[in-house]
Amino acid sequence: MIKFHPSEEYLFNYVTGELSPAMLMMVGTHVDMCPQCANTAQEMETALANKLFGQAQLPEEFEAGNEGFDGAAMLAEIMAQTPQQHDDKVVKLSNELILEGKRFELPATLARNHHRIGQWQKLIGKMWRAPVQVGGQDVLTMIYMAENTRVAEHTHKGNEATLVVNGVFNDETSEYRDGDIMFLDGKVKHTPETRQEDCLTLAALDAPMHFTSGVSRLLNPFSSLFFK
Amino acid sequence: MQTATETNIRSKSMSSAQPDNPDHAAALLSLVANEQSRRAFSELFAYFAPRLKAYATRQFGNEQTAMDLVQETMTNVWKKAHLFKPDRGSASTWIFTIARNIRFDILRKNKHRQYDLSADELWPVLAEQNESFNDDYGLDDELLMQQLANYCEELPKAQRTVIEMIYVVGKSQQEVADALGIPLGTVKSRTRLALQKLKELVQRND
Ligand SMILES: [Zn+2]
Repeated sequence: MIKFHPSEEYLFNYVTGELSPAMLMMVGTHVDMCPQCANTAQEMETALANKLFGQAQLPEEFEAGNEGFDGAAMLAEIMAQTPQQHDDKVVKLSNELILEGKRFELPATLARNHHRIGQWQKLIGKMWRAPVQVGGQDVLTMIYMAENTRVAEHTHKGNEATLVVNGVFNDETSEYRDGDIMFLDGKVKHTPETRQEDCLTLAALDAPMHFTSGVSRLLNPFSSLFFK
Repeated sequence: MQTATETNIRSKSMSSAQPDNPDHAAALLSLVANEQSRRAFSELFAYFAPRLKAYATRQFGNEQTAMDLVQETMTNVWKKAHLFKPDRGSASTWIFTIARNIRFDILRKNKHRQYDLSADELWPVLAEQNESFNDDYGLDDELLMQQLANYCEELPKAQRTVIEMIYVVGKSQQEVADALGIPLGTVKSRTRLALQKLKELVQRND
């Protein structure tokens, strides 16, 4: 069971497309994995459609704005085109990610954007990262942590969102499994770690990360490399 | 004057059903899909185009962009009505999601971000092909299956149970999770660990 969901506000902004590309990927991937949020998102689409198209009578101010609207010409232009026929061809998309000899099944949103996943780079310890190039200001990254791996304690200048694609990780407050999404602001210090199981995550960051503890501070130069 | 006449004709020929009635709108879409019915499309257009125009004008505050959105949305409705799946939602929701996608792409292109994430990549509303993913782990080679059956004996019991339920009984990972009362993530990681182990066994004995 998924324990951590995006807020309704995030879901609504996903449905209308009012988030950064990185956050749209995060929420979209959660929706792929979470029947409950998929259902809510669909209800929101229906509610928005009812709001736009529901009125039997167009309010007067719209009619007024539509005076220059030459519907007949547009209608004729559209119907002059040939409708497309049904295409039964099934195209198999690759939703398989192979990393360190392990196979992962990517949720649909990530699978559709497989081509945006860049080169995997090995980091300190048993961690790997790959950039996901979707555009926008936020940085989207896939991170793989092998079993028994710990990320140095760090804080963020900005906000971080992490989604578990496959596996388990823990921090000081909880355990996160497939589909769980967590949001952290700049004030929280946390130390994510894996135990017996490995973990593949998708992370969105709106500012570089800052390491706070002892030796980890030495890693700070890497932080730009880490989430670039 | 003209509007009044049109309304008059429509109300005579189409009885009381309006495209804001979900079943009626779905029926019109299926007439467009199956018979390229111009009459059905004209009725959909008369209802949805002005409402889309009102929506787009509010969104963009620009007449020309608003018209582009209406034209592009309604063109998709005409050309791709066969992609409407009544079991997945209402006709008006489908048309809304088409308009939402077009708005998203218009805004992206206006910002000169044509290589950024596109609407289709996010919400495949008009995906021509059925999306189908390789989620069977591709273990359909018969010889390999037999060989693997022997190696399965060497797996830890928990992993063997999961592998047998998936590859012998043919259950999905979710069904296995439900049947065993364990989280889906655990089923997935057990499957992964087991396949990893099997791969090692195959390689070692090759
Ligand atoms: Zn959810």
